[in-house]
This record gives sequence, C-alpha cells and structure tokens, in this order.
Amino acid sequence: MRRAALFVGLIVFAWLLWDTGADPVRLARGVPWILDFLRRMVPPDLQVLPSALAGALTTVEIALLGTAVAAVLALPLGFLSARNVAPPLLFYPARVVLNLFRSVDTLVYALVFVAAVGLGPFPGVLAVVAYTTTSLAKLYSEAIEGIDPGPMDAVTATGATRLQVLRYGVLPQVLPLFLSYILYRLETNIRAATILGFVGAGGIGFYLQTYLRMIDYPAASTALLVTIVMVMVVDTLSSRLRARLI
Amino acid sequence: MVEVSGLRVVLPPAVVAVDGVDLVIAPGEFVVILGRSGAGKTTFLRAINRLVEPTAGTVRVAGRAVTGADPTALRAARRQIGMVFQQFNLVRRASVLDNVLAGRLGYVPVLPSLLGRFPAADRDLALAGLAQVGLAHLAERRADTLSGGEQQRVAIARALAQGPAVILADEPTASLDPALTTDIMDILKSINVERGLTLVVSQHQLETALAYATRIVGFRAGRVAFDGPPSAVTPPVVAAIYGDGR
Repeated sequence: MRRAALFVGLIVFAWLLWDTGADPVRLARGVPWILDFLRRMVPPDLQVLPSALAGALTTVEIALLGTAVAAVLALPLGFLSARNVAPPLLFYPARVVLNLFRSVDTLVYALVFVAAVGLGPFPGVLAVVAYTTTSLAKLYSEAIEGIDPGPMDAVTATGATRLQVLRYGVLPQVLPLFLSYILYRLETNIRAATILGFVGAGGIGFYLQTYLRMIDYPAASTALLVTIVMVMVVDTLSSRLRARLI
Repeated sequence: MVEVSGLRVVLPPAVVAVDGVDLVIAPGEFVVILGRSGAGKTTFLRAINRLVEPTAGTVRVAGRAVTGADPTALRAARRQIGMVFQQFNLVRRASVLDNVLAGRLGYVPVLPSLLGRFPAADRDLALAGLAQVGLAHLAERRADTLSGGEQQRVAIARALAQGPAVILADEPTASLDPALTTDIMDILKSINVERGLTLVVSQHQLETALAYATRIVGFRAGRVAFDGPPSAVTPPVVAAIYGDGR
C-alpha cells in the first residue's frame, strides 16, 4: 500500500516536472542573466527615492484603509457564518457567499475594479476590501465557533436579547483573536497592495513596474529596497502588537 | 413559584434526559435536586429557563409561562430566573463588575447596552449584588484573576443582579473544594432566608443536600424517584435514588 502510494507520487512528480517545463539546465543557463540583472541594479538610483517613498506611502494607505473597512464589514458576515451563533436560515447563505468570494484573489479583484472605476489607489482599496472582508469573516467565524459556550448560556439565561448575548457572551472571548487576525491581514495586505500597482491600482508597485519596463534597473532597485523596508517595518510593528494581544 | 408538568426532554440524537416530571415548588423553598450524574438534573434545570428546549410538557415560573412563550415573553420570564452554573460561566477577560452587569441586560435599553452603557441605577444594583456576596472590593478586577470560589460568588452576584424570583443552581459546588462548598452553600442559604428567594439547587453530595435543603427531590433516570423533606431521606430512599446502595 505504502509502496504503491510512493510510486504514484513519483509518477505525478515526474509528470509535473515535465508538464511545467522544469529544466535545471535552463535554470543554470539563466543564472548569468540573473547576475547581470542584479549587477545593473547596483547602485540604486536615489534620485527616484522621493517618488518611491510616496508610492510606498500610498501602498500602506491602501492596505490600512482596505483592512480597516474590511475588518468592520466582516463582523456581521463572521457572526452569520459561525455555526454556534448564527440563525440556521442565514448560516448556509452566509457560508456560500463567503466561500464564493474568498476563492477570488485580491489581484483579480483589482483588475475588475480598475476596469470599473479607473486607475489609482481607489480600486486598490476596493480590491483589498473585497478579498479581506471574506477572508477575515472566515477567520472570525472560526474564532466564534471555538468559544466556550458557558458564558453565552449564562448571558442568555439573564433574559438578554440575541445581540446582547453576542456582545457580552461572545465578543469579549473573541476580540483579542479578531484584533490579531486583523493585524495579520494587514501584513499580508501590504504585500498584496505592492503587487496591485502592477495592474494600475496605485502604490509602490506602479513605480516598480514602470521602472522595470523602462529598463531603468537602478531606479527599480530603489523601489525594491523601499518595498522591502516598508514590509519589514509593518511586519515588525504588527507582530509586536499581536504578541501583546495574546 | 415553579410549576413543571409532564416535562420531557429528549436530547439529540435520542437520549431521554427528562422523562415525565411533575413538580410544583412553592415560594421560599430551598429545593435540592439529588441524583447521580446522568440522572437528568442538569437538563431539568436548563429546561426550566429553556436553555434546553423541552420536548413536551409545560413550565411556569412566577406566574409566567416559559414553555410556548414567544422570544420577547421568554426573555421576560428568564429575567426572573437567575442561574448559577457548575463552571461559573463568567466571561474570563471581562471585569467582575461587567460580568455582574450582564445580569441587568434583560432590563436596560438594548442599544446603549450594546455600547457598554448601563444606567446608574443598574450599576448600583450590580454593585449591591457584589456586596451581598462580599466581593464589592474586587469589582474592577478581571474575572480570571479570581479564585474558583470567588468566581462562583461573582456568578451568584450576577444572578442576584437580575432581581430574580427564583435562582437555579446547577451543581454550583462541584468544581470547588469542600471548604468552599460550605461557603457557596451558605451564601445560597442566606439569599433564600434573607431575601425569601426560591432556590432550586442540584447536588450530587448527599450530606450537603441534607444540610441545606428544605425539600429534597431525588432524580433517577430522568424521573422523580423521591420527593420529601430531608428528614424523610432514609437509607432505602438513598438506595432508590442512587441505586444498589453503591
């Protein structure tokens, strides 16, 4: 049985290598090109630093605004798709909506919104909101499903309404988790927002892509360095905050 | 005060937890429900305020129908029924006072309460409840920093804050050591004597039950196997409740 599984696994692996055109020789031939690429990026062109920084700021803004709006929009959806608190009539529709929208990535949303509202940071914000709302709602609902039902029972027993039970029996239990998920999503959204510029949705990615197209490698390298620093700064701040929450 | 008639509770998938119970409890009684674990004590208590939905039968508490009540009437009925749980069921991350304030949720305006605002009169009632269990000085502490005995006293204060006509206590001392058992039972007894509140307490410890109850109701396999004063609990009665003298 185990041997058969191993055999099948090897065959699939070999087929994947063949079908994707994976070729170590081709990679080896590409190495000098990569080295050349890197060589041309040094030294970075610091003249474009101001516009790269402005782009980075826009990227952070897209991620911050998008995540903040999504964090709020995800609240009702999260509660509705948690099996233990949602009214059964609304639970299944909420779950379907969630799974449907969550299977589409931020970048795809960006393409749609750029087409709908034009270029710039705004479609980027919309794309972040669209993806993050459903992905946070999913995380929220899992947190809610993991709560201790005891306090919920106790608050229900006092004669509280359903909303009061959620506010006093459920929310205090899940709030730290929610905040931690929001910060985690902010981190991934910074990365996602970097790419959004490639499809015209504003931010540092727009500059990076423009410089690469103009074959201005020193400028691209500045944009890349700014991106790396930006991601590192946000990650550090966010993970410090998260460590305090749990 | 509590009128239960023909109560039957079948828990999913097909466990008959309460199998036809008729019981009338007069105002001011201190009823202890005795029985082995699995005898249906917890389900019986939870069916009185419909934390568990009865399969058949009727329940009336303080003149209000509990069974058949619409959501609004059910909440009004629940306000009059304080409940104390084996696992305390406090919101661990919330302050002691916030936990006790939850007892007022059935009375206060809903919208402000969702924002965490309570009228001054309700805060006073919550503090009075805390004073009655001797914990007024711990009002601002986080609930999970308290000892088990203290947490159960907070839970009793929460029930008292409801201004209830009846308090149901489901194995309130089963998670506590013997010294604290006396503490908690003394507090419940004083509530019964001083405030004239009706108490329905489940217990699996015979000695504790006999020491505090004005009336013992023995449960066996979801039915009432004994109903009478503590003085009538003879060895044959104990055998009838617990079975085989084991």
